[in-house]
Amino acid sequence: MAAISFPFETVLIANRGEIAVRIIGSLRKLGLRAAIVYHEVDAATPAVALADVAFKISGRTPVSAYLDAEQIVTAARTVGAGALHPGYGFLSENAGFARAVTAAGIAFIGPSPEAIELMGDKIRARNFVERNGFPVAPSAIEESDPSTFLARARSVGAPLLVKPSAGGGGKGMRIVRDLDLLEDAVAQARSEGQRYFGDGRLYIERYVEKPRHIEVQVLGDAFGNVVHLFERECSVQRRFQKIIEETPSPTLSAQMRQRICETAAGIARAAGYRNAGTVEFIFGGGEFYFLEMNTRLQVEHPVTEMITGVDLVAEQIAIAANRPLSFRQPDISAQGHAIEARLYAESPERGFSPTSGKVLMLDYPHEQGVRVDSGIAQGQSITTAFDPMLAKVIVHAPTRDAAVAKAIRAVKDVVLLGCETNAAFLARVLADAGFRSGEVHTGYLDENPTIASGIDGDPDEVTGLLAVAALVTRPVRDAADAVPALHAAIGDWRN
Amino acid sequence: MFHKFDLGGVTHELWLAPTVNGYHLHILDGWSGPVAFAEEAAGHGSLTVAGTSKAVAFAVDGDVIHIHMRGRTRSLRYVDPLRALASVDGDDGHNVARAPMPGTVVALKVVPGDAVTAGTVLVVIESMKLETQIRASQDGIVERLHVKDGDSFDRDAILVTLSQGN
Repeated sequence: MAAISFPFETVLIANRGEIAVRIIGSLRKLGLRAAIVYHEVDAATPAVALADVAFKISGRTPVSAYLDAEQIVTAARTVGAGALHPGYGFLSENAGFARAVTAAGIAFIGPSPEAIELMGDKIRARNFVERNGFPVAPSAIEESDPSTFLARARSVGAPLLVKPSAGGGGKGMRIVRDLDLLEDAVAQARSEGQRYFGDGRLYIERYVEKPRHIEVQVLGDAFGNVVHLFERECSVQRRFQKIIEETPSPTLSAQMRQRICETAAGIARAAGYRNAGTVEFIFGGGEFYFLEMNTRLQVEHPVTEMITGVDLVAEQIAIAANRPLSFRQPDISAQGHAIEARLYAESPERGFSPTSGKVLMLDYPHEQGVRVDSGIAQGQSITTAFDPMLAKVIVHAPTRDAAVAKAIRAVKDVVLLGCETNAAFLARVLADAGFRSGEVHTGYLDENPTIASGIDGDPDEVTGLLAVAALVTRPVRDAADAVPALHAAIGDWRN
Repeated sequence: MFHKFDLGGVTHELWLAPTVNGYHLHILDGWSGPVAFAEEAAGHGSLTVAGTSKAVAFAVDGDVIHIHMRGRTRSLRYVDPLRALASVDGDDGHNVARAPMPGTVVALKVVPGDAVTAGTVLVVIESMKLETQIRASQDGIVERLHVKDGDSFDRDAILVTLSQGN
């Protein structure tokens, strides 16, 4: 793509950390200038150091600075940016922000505000997908006709999930496996909905047992061309937080894979979708249902890049520059298997509580087929001001088994001293028999708590740690060296 | 002389003795044998335990030793016998409120000189997107605030010092 010319020279990155570094990489490759906004707590981070120009923003909290659309648009104007990349999180799925950027004459590297709005509202997105003939979980909405609600729910068939319409966070939700118990469950859910949300209206959908999370990467240009770049499976999660992602999914047959990928591309096409997006599905019992569409670049996009060789950020920028996609569906092929493991500043052994500290030593694995997307540097302090994700370790190998082995090696080779991380936990998940066999679902880690707690009592490890600690701690060594030589000689001889 | 190291909440006592070729490690109620550590570059070295060598990366931060070995990172705290005694003295008439987890200060609810009773909220912190109230564990006078609004802190950081008011 090096020969492409762009209608802009400078791109402002409205983000931080590893994704900002990642975006700068593509901008360099395309010969574009990278500008970034930053809160002062991020002043010493690699993203700010790598950018061609950095603009300081402020806020009541560091996070609020990155959510301040007005300051960011001002920054974009000040640095002369002709385009803006929002990354993920923060303002990336805020339609008002996309409008404000566009109104300032700056190209928003993402979908139209209308697409963000459509997919940002779960019920609206679900109805849109259903209306266009794509699969959503069979469901019954009480408001559509309260008098026939129970009958419609029965016809959906067990198992069912009863949810308060106004709900969230799992409150008031009940699983019904025996339809004889439906009426009781509805009464209970209604009273809980009333109690929690002051709203007793209900919504019932087919419950998927041991659900797997499968999503499909799509790209659309301004000329109506839409392609998919295959699926990613992200079933290893903890409370909706993804931990390990891979592609291809170990569970899909070739036909199912094609169906799910074509469905995703069809949904994006129906929505007139432009730029990079991800259509998420729940997969279980041999069927898949639309869950939601993320109208931005995903954290786990690198696994797709590894198997397709496509630079998704470069494609996003080309699309925002009104260029047609440079390839069609048949031009995209997948090679091998890729796995991503997310390095978090948290302690799975202590209930996933957050950790912090100064990075005293940082050394990432260097191996063919291993990519590390990192936003931190040695000497930097890790605080709890932001999301705890520090870096992503991504591997690529010809087969899944080889990729798993490589991923285990890679996370074990991450040397980050000074702030506790989840690296040992990642190695345990990757080595787990259930994960290796591909038999995981989104509740897998909760059902197997010993993977997180990491019960182990390797006495050799403790001996080694104590030996290093003793030998590098001056008072311990000084005390030993103060022992008279004669005594020392006898000590040795006695052995 | 025995030295104490804390590893994951467990205290281990050990003693290092010099030998002609290096050192002999004695772990109380544990392993005993020859050990050697060759530092090859800053923070990198090779540990030899009973004739077997392993690559080690380490960093020392005050009394905390971070070690990466055999694909895993662990941290140990050296329990300094002199410092342990000093803190017993220092605790006389003082009480500190520590951070139960890393976070940021959302609000300070007291100022130095305030008289507080056990249970009084001293500081509101935010961690993992949840607000937590840090309360006084006993009656006293606020002697010192160690943090200000918006500060971030590590686990176990001292947030407030109370003196016992009479």
